[in-house]
Amino acid sequence: MATSTATGTDTLTREETDTLTAADVPWVVIVWNDPVNLMSYVSYVFQSYFGYSESKSHRLMLEVHQAGKSVVATGSRESAERDTLAMHSYGLWATFQKADAA
Amino acid sequence: MATGFKLTRKGITANLEPGERDLLRKLFSDVQELLEPDTAADTDPLAAMVGIDPSAAVPDDSALLRLLPNGTTDNDDDALEFRRFTERSLRESKQSALRAAALQLEAAPLRLDTEQAQLFARALNDVRLVLGDRLGIEDDETAERLHDITDPSKAEDVDGYLALVYNFVTWLQETLMQALLDSLN
Repeated sequence: MATSTATGTDTLTREETDTLTAADVPWVVIVWNDPVNLMSYVSYVFQSYFGYSESKSHRLMLEVHQAGKSVVATGSRESAERDTLAMHSYGLWATFQKADAA
Repeated sequence: MATGFKLTRKGITANLEPGERDLLRKLFSDVQELLEPDTAADTDPLAAMVGIDPSAAVPDDSALLRLLPNGTTDNDDDALEFRRFTERSLRESKQSALRAAALQLEAAPLRLDTEQAQLFARALNDVRLVLGDRLGIEDDETAERLHDITDPSKAEDVDGYLALVYNFVTWLQETLMQALLDSLN
């Protein structure tokens, strides 16, 4: 029991430290609406590049179309930059930023 | 008239008229040319080797800016740094998709596997982004108004002709996307 409790405390401490590290603040990728990209194309890119389901891709695409933008991915700065570049290669207008500023 | 793309057991196929293939070849080549970097790639051999372009700047041409957009909205310095590290490879990746798509046009009928179809879709999309910019499509209303221009006899000026071309490429990409979406299921 004692060992078990100690382990639990250790884990908790580590998690708390993690959330306070600036480098661990997640980054997001935002895709912005534009009047040229086809809805079918945007939906296909979300499915094929991110591996999202048909319904999730469709929902994100509609959010871009109707709300003007949508957060399509969250992760490290490196992955956000990589995803942004990939979206640009597909011709989608994407930007990356810290999640707390989104 | 082309029949557009269809998903078949032999891949994604399309029958295009010779005139339509010539038009697409010209459009792919025009956009490829637009994507040529201004500066010589050999400015700094090491930087060029790893794809960094220290002289990369925000494009003046709005169509080119649409193809190579800023990666951040809130900070010009971050956007420029991202551009310097990524723009050259983005240009090359787009050019190679356009080149691959142009090569596919040599076959009649066109027959694409998934990877080739994705490259073809990217090429068509970049062509539409450039045409859309030239036509001043800035909102959904303009896009819809232009969508109705499909009668060649009514294309009296350059914009009318561009709108016809835009609508043809849009229609073709839409058939390609339906075929690609069908292939996922």
